[in-house]
Amino acid sequence: MRPLTEPETKVVFDKLANYMTDLKSLIAPLDDGDRYVFRLNHSRVYYVRLSIANMATSISRDALLSLGTCLGKLTKTGKFRLHITALPILAEHARYKIWVKENGAQPFLYGSNVAKAHVGRWSDDCPEHSGCVVLSMADIPLGFGVTARSTAEARRLDPTGIVCFRQSDCGEYLRDEDTLFAG
Amino acid sequence: MGTTRTIKNKHAANGSGIKGSKASKNGPQHDGVIKAKKNGPKTPQPGRGINGRPNIADILKKRKKRVYTEKELGIPELNKITPVGVTKPKGKKKGKVFVDDRESMTTILALVQAEKEGQIESKMIKARQMEEIREARRAEAEAKEAERKAQFDETKESLRKKRKKKHGKGGEDEDINGFKASLAAEGTKAAKPKKKRVSFAPE
Repeated sequence: MRPLTEPETKVVFDKLANYMTDLKSLIAPLDDGDRYVFRLNHSRVYYVRLSIANMATSISRDALLSLGTCLGKLTKTGKFRLHITALPILAEHARYKIWVKENGAQPFLYGSNVAKAHVGRWSDDCPEHSGCVVLSMADIPLGFGVTARSTAEARRLDPTGIVCFRQSDCGEYLRDEDTLFAG
Repeated sequence: MGTTRTIKNKHAANGSGIKGSKASKNGPQHDGVIKAKKNGPKTPQPGRGINGRPNIADILKKRKKRVYTEKELGIPELNKITPVGVTKPKGKKKGKVFVDDRESMTTILALVQAEKEGQIESKMIKARQMEEIREARRAEAEAKEAERKAQFDETKESLRKKRKKKHGKGGEDEDINGFKASLAAEGTKAAKPKKKRVSFAPE
């Protein structure tokens, strides 16, 4: 386990900035004097309290399965891939949101993209190809994706047209159970 | 005669003093008693000659040949090209440089966020411009459609007026022929030629 290097930090922040507005709150000091830090173990990036990260140094790298919140994985080409485990952090300060109706929640959780017919409402002034968080009508985050059309374009789209390309959904907790936390 | 010397604390001489330890295993075992070596007859040193003077050959051997650097010799440097990645900065730490303090992290964060905001802003502006263009095109198409419709209505009206006039003056056949001709000119459906028919001759 080690802290991130400068290029790694940049790549991680760059990806997070696609989905979040307020990144500064991520590293803001907490009331008890502690703060959150980013740690890398087995190419996975964890978002964890500094006190816990310091305690985790007593565990060997191989024995350490996970700590804090796993944000995603750094690929061998140096890119950063967000995991579904990062959803609570993304949803808290989401830049754009799409609310799906009851009939659209299940298809999304099974891994399909969001069709226009399933959209209950969406954020205004959302450009195309920008990260968005998908929520149910009861404001429960279901996953995240990338907008296929801008809000204005999506209004003219036919009901079967895709408005959001799925990136990750909560169904992955079951589907990718074996590889989500290790391997 | 040689002198004997005893060391009271034998553990101090033998390392830690613990039986199985490395320090106790290694090194000479002499129970704290060290015998001084006898002083034998002095042997002549290799560098000395017969009279105690150093040999010339030895001096030549001993003297190190000074190696001059290119800078000292003043040789003009070769025009060699070193790629940017190859040159290694001197005195810099090898390996990764971690970012763990809040200040540097905030700096990176501010940079990334500003860049992303700029990108999104430009995307929005582009989208808005495209939307405006689309709106203008749609308005233009609508205007054209309205104009065409108006022209069509006008033509229809004029034909109707003509028909009324003709009806008052001349025969009906002429009027119908005129109407047909105008319709053809307008591009509406032309009169179809009669279909060929085949019939069997009665027996």
